[in-house]
Amino acid sequence: MSRFFYPKLAATNLKKNAQTYLPYILTCIGTVMMYYIMVFLSENEGLGKMAGGSQVQSILSMGTYVIAIFSAIFLFYTHSFLVKRRKKEFGLFNILGMEKKHIARVLAIETLYVAGISLGAGLLGGILLSKLIFMVLLKILNFEVPLGFEVSGPALAAVLFLFAGIFLLTLLNTLRQIHLAKPVELLMGGQTGETEPKTKWLLVVMGTLSLGGGYYISLTTQSPLAALTQFFFAVLLVIVGTYCLFTAGSIAVLKLLRRNKGYYYQTRHFTAVAGMMYRMKQNAVGLANICIMATAVLVMVSTTVSLYIGMEDVLRTRYPQHIMISTPMPAQQSVEGLQTSVKEVLVKHGLEGKDRLDYRYVAFVGNQEGDRLITNLSNISDDSSSVREFYLIPLEDYNRLAKRTASLGDDEILIYSSGSKYEEDTLTVFNRTFSVKERLDSFFENSPNRVSISGSYYVVVKDMDVVKAMEEARAKENGDDPSGYRYYLGFDLEADEADISAVYQDIRTALGSDYPGSSIESPVAAKESFFAIYGGLFFLGIFLGALFIMATVLIIYYKQVSEGYDDKARFEIMQKVGMSREEVRGSIRSQVLIVFFLPLVTAGIHIAFAFPIITKLLAVLNLTNVGLFAWCTAGTILVFALFYAIVYGLTAKVYYRIVSWGTSG
Amino acid sequence: MTILEVNNLKKVYTTRFGGSPVQALANVSFSVEEGEYAAIMGESGSGKTTLLNILASLDKPTSGEVLLKGKGLSTIKEKEISAFRRENLGFVFQDFNLLDTFSLQDNIFLPLVLSGKSYEEMSRRLEPIARKLGIGDILAKYPYEVSGGQKQRCAVARALITKPQLILADEPTGSLDSQAAEGLLRLFKEINSEGQTLLMVTHSVKAASHAQRVLFIKDGEVFHQLYKAGMSDEAMYQKISDTLTTMATGGGRHE
Ligand SMILES: Nc1ncnc2c1ncn2[C@@H]1O[C@H](COP(=O)(O)OP(=O)(O)O)[C@@H](O)[C@H]1O
Ligand SMILES: [Mg+2]
Repeated sequence: MSRFFYPKLAATNLKKNAQTYLPYILTCIGTVMMYYIMVFLSENEGLGKMAGGSQVQSILSMGTYVIAIFSAIFLFYTHSFLVKRRKKEFGLFNILGMEKKHIARVLAIETLYVAGISLGAGLLGGILLSKLIFMVLLKILNFEVPLGFEVSGPALAAVLFLFAGIFLLTLLNTLRQIHLAKPVELLMGGQTGETEPKTKWLLVVMGTLSLGGGYYISLTTQSPLAALTQFFFAVLLVIVGTYCLFTAGSIAVLKLLRRNKGYYYQTRHFTAVAGMMYRMKQNAVGLANICIMATAVLVMVSTTVSLYIGMEDVLRTRYPQHIMISTPMPAQQSVEGLQTSVKEVLVKHGLEGKDRLDYRYVAFVGNQEGDRLITNLSNISDDSSSVREFYLIPLEDYNRLAKRTASLGDDEILIYSSGSKYEEDTLTVFNRTFSVKERLDSFFENSPNRVSISGSYYVVVKDMDVVKAMEEARAKENGDDPSGYRYYLGFDLEADEADISAVYQDIRTALGSDYPGSSIESPVAAKESFFAIYGGLFFLGIFLGALFIMATVLIIYYKQVSEGYDDKARFEIMQKVGMSREEVRGSIRSQVLIVFFLPLVTAGIHIAFAFPIITKLLAVLNLTNVGLFAWCTAGTILVFALFYAIVYGLTAKVYYRIVSWGTSG
Repeated sequence: MTILEVNNLKKVYTTRFGGSPVQALANVSFSVEEGEYAAIMGESGSGKTTLLNILASLDKPTSGEVLLKGKGLSTIKEKEISAFRRENLGFVFQDFNLLDTFSLQDNIFLPLVLSGKSYEEMSRRLEPIARKLGIGDILAKYPYEVSGGQKQRCAVARALITKPQLILADEPTGSLDSQAAEGLLRLFKEINSEGQTLLMVTHSVKAASHAQRVLFIKDGEVFHQLYKAGMSDEAMYQKISDTLTTMATGGGRHE
């Protein structure tokens, strides 16, 4: 045999199977590109040196792992589909006298071609696109865009390493399958008879329970802190539930329908039930994959987009005032001294504090147990959902800020709760029992209404004596020194960001040495790191969203193609047995539509149920604007559905061409 | 009474990409009487399947007409053609044409379900047929779970259950081993003896020798026909072989 026989045969094979190989190669190219770009960005030195850049890079490097794992699983999965389609061809080669080792050689050469094309085109595309994506990222992050163009050596190496591994694995897996199969089995190929799917009630029950469990967690989780820990558990339950119900649940439902003879043996239901049963058996896993990926895309994109869009909101929630000073006040310090220092800075800049807000308080953390607060630090955090932050404020300051003239007895309090409601009539803390005189619906304007991950209570007590007594009790219990009370001073400035930033810096210097332990915050100072984090997440969300969408498209395409081949024969038989073309067409179309939109609808339901828990997670990230998130979610779903419908339209064309819609007969 | 009448049927396939047109049928005329068991013989590529597809109204002739009980197939509206086919014709194909998504029983029920029959009625009809064909205990199985012969018997059951005027069979023994083929041919004879009209297309001499009449087509025309008329299967077999030899050696047409 000629030296060129195998390379030639390999090339012919790829050409002959272009309809299935082309999308696969395009996907390989796409994943190579995305992986290169992601590694490029997460390793880029210029980005690392920018303020907040390293935070972005740690987010992005998380992305590289996601892409790597995903690419491996996904390419492996699609490739096994290709091999299944081609088994018949291998069987033919085998019977025509090619030994398995020769087939292996052809396959190895084919893999080399595919790898060569994918890596060549993918790296070229990745290198060209990396600059563009880099600029987009910097724009998102609000960073300056530097000049110049780079090719990253480490990124090239990472790509070659990962994808060589993936291609090798797929080849080995194919060879294993060929090696194990007998020629006759190969010839039978994909169509080794469809076994009647079994009803797996255990899986159905498990799926229902775990899906229900996931939904239940989402609907009932109240505190953001609990949401943080429960979210991944809920996600896991929903994923398990989705797989179980798509695979076993669908079959169980269809079988129940079939058992009902009056329903089943009706012209309209007969072919539909049997057809759906067959399709679900073939595609349940693929459909569940699509459903989960669609859900992931929707969650990722809607959350990151709303965080990014809502960044000003987030900043305002987290930092309600331009300058926020909170400092401990031991005996030797005075509130007046601090106010003077701040005043001096403002005078120097020719500015005045607006909406000034100041009050004295002490804060501590404890576990709420009914009307008791357990403050013993060693007990805290066992049950994260009952952790509460307490802020004690004297009545004098509260009345001043809220413009009220409330009065309180020694053991009376006013309570304002944020996060979880305080329902009790009394509150016992450090062995002192207070009676709740009034539950406040609002505190005062610009009150530090922080959405902490646990619930917070703002408790107004009679006077500073009570405040100090409580702080002493706390220190005694924890065995540390009482730190006196804390003093909060916050105000807005009518100035541009640069001036606010300058004031902020000066106040830091002015207070730094005299007031150890004080915290000085400003949204202006935090903006950069917020941009870095939320911008980074936004970028990653969109990027991974694109990757997942690409995968979804490919799965859909392969599903349509493989169903097309199977349906073609069925379509002809049905006509021969006396179904009209219109009937067959209608029946097949509705089945294809159901199969196609089932994952999307399910993803929509998942999202609806996930909404409550995600809003709580976003609250942890300081996004409390539920309306914005709702809009972003709706928008994302709409865009995705539109995109999905377009993909459906395009692949349906391929499908109809295969079943030769309208040409037969 | 004449059940099927075929007059001057012509079929020319025009390929889409400008290839030269293929004439599958040139001028075919014959008729089938009620209760008859006729076979059509011809080499592979002689147009047998084409003819059967036209008879089944699955395809349209280029010219000529097909009358079923005096009714021209070309006069039936497109919308009614499938119902007409379902109610008047039964089919048995070489490759069985059973749907792998249905159990054998559901495959047999398919035409009746399409006609809107109730489950009770379908079971009532199936019961005697299943008994006769000996498929009673495999009905719950799926096509891939049974042998070729069993599959073909289910296909016959599917054809019989609609009580058709005419059963058309295209190479029904083509995918069967000799034993299963023999069984099927016996079955055909049996249902024919009960009054069922059968038209079978085949290139197997063995299969054709079971029929009461054999038509030979060559070059798209009916070349010759043979009547069995009391002959034994073996004698008929011999006669068919002789005819085929004559045809192959280019012997002239004779009635
Ligand atoms: N759909 C078609 N398009 C073009 N030519 C066809 C088509 N179907 C059959 N033919 C041609 O018509 C002739 C008769 O075919 P067919 O009826 O299948 O023969 P048989 O069943 O006797 O083997 C053959 O030459 C075949 O190539
Ligand atoms: Mg044929």
